[in-house]
Amino acid sequence: MHELDPDTLPAGTYLNTGDAARQGYRLNRFCYDLRDPANRAAWQHDPEALLDRYAIDEADRALIRAHDWLGLVRRGANVFPLLRLSQLCGFGLAGTGAQMRGQTLEEYLSTRQARTS
Amino acid sequence: MARIIGGLGSPHAPSIGALIDAGDWDHPDWLPLMQGYRPMQRWLAARRPDAAILIYNDHVTSFFFDRYPTFALGVAAEHPIADEGFGPRPLPPVRGDADFAWHMAHALVEDGFDITVCQEMPLDHGALTPISALWPGREVQPELGWPTAILPLAVNVLQFPIPTPRRLWQLGGALRRAVEAYPRDYDVVVLGTGGLSHQLHGERFGFKNEAWDQEFLDRLEHDPQSLAALRVQDYVERSGVEGAEEIMWLAMRAALPERVRRVHRNYHGPLHTGFAQILFEDPSLAPILDTPPRVAQ
Repeated sequence: MHELDPDTLPAGTYLNTGDAARQGYRLNRFCYDLRDPANRAAWQHDPEALLDRYAIDEADRALIRAHDWLGLVRRGANVFPLLRLSQLCGFGLAGTGAQMRGQTLEEYLSTRQARTS
Repeated sequence: MARIIGGLGSPHAPSIGALIDAGDWDHPDWLPLMQGYRPMQRWLAARRPDAAILIYNDHVTSFFFDRYPTFALGVAAEHPIADEGFGPRPLPPVRGDADFAWHMAHALVEDGFDITVCQEMPLDHGALTPISALWPGREVQPELGWPTAILPLAVNVLQFPIPTPRRLWQLGGALRRAVEAYPRDYDVVVLGTGGLSHQLHGERFGFKNEAWDQEFLDRLEHDPQSLAALRVQDYVERSGVEGAEEIMWLAMRAALPERVRRVHRNYHGPLHTGFAQILFEDPSLAPILDTPPRVAQ
């Protein structure tokens, strides 16, 4: 590959391509479909039933239950569909990101000029 | 005959749209950013372009990874406001110009850009944030409509392989040739959107690089082909994976003359992203803004 050096990416970076894209496909589909208000309601009513419908495997389910956003990224979740799930679970962008950095929201915001997110 | 009169660069973060919808243009954390739109608004109100080519990316809203176009052109007379999962923004449907859009589709394909042609392409924050900031007021008065027709051109910057910086540069040239072949008196601006540096995933979430962002803006003005010669990896390293979307600004710049007049430049990056705004115009136009070119820190 001329454009990318997959072996020398910056630390903490996960490219949406190839094996990751394939592995994350159903997970991304599930998150993508949360655009639909009916799916958001189904999630609130019975999340496991919705995960059944999307054939989400046990490893991904455990990460979803644990709100482990970094773990889901490592499983191939793309951040933009994933944010629909994390926000439904009460995490804003800053909170989702802080967790991926291994910090609390307060710790992350303390590194920023703006204190509101 | 049709001509490109200028190019504008703007972020497209949804947080900016949220400020606009809340009427919160004066929020202290974001004032230097929101004020950066004022000269651009004045310029657009004075120049009154007939159409704006809006180079943006969809955020897995209108397109999913089951079939993900590298370049997609919205040719409809009207573009719906997308519901990204939190309800649609209170904006009127975005006006297009189907005659111009179909002309552009033909011209681009004949010029070697095999775009996906979309007759229904709801717009998400990638498109709505910049236009709602550049032509404000529609969020409270949707009956105003949009004064300029929007031609949305979506670029894949989310699933790799993304197009190369060189390809975005070539796209800008093709856009210019296509506009100049449109047989009407018709003034067009090109909007490059996104960035600048940011990464929104992984342990590298929150990565920003102001030194690179400022260098990018300098080179965009004076030496843009050097930016087109960089690799995707260079953008990933310097600007972050999500920040690599700044290659969309290269198409805007390449649609303009080699020498441009910089009317405006602004930078503010207090949270996740290094936000920049820029406005170039064709130097053969008589200047209209009394705002001198400046670099705001």
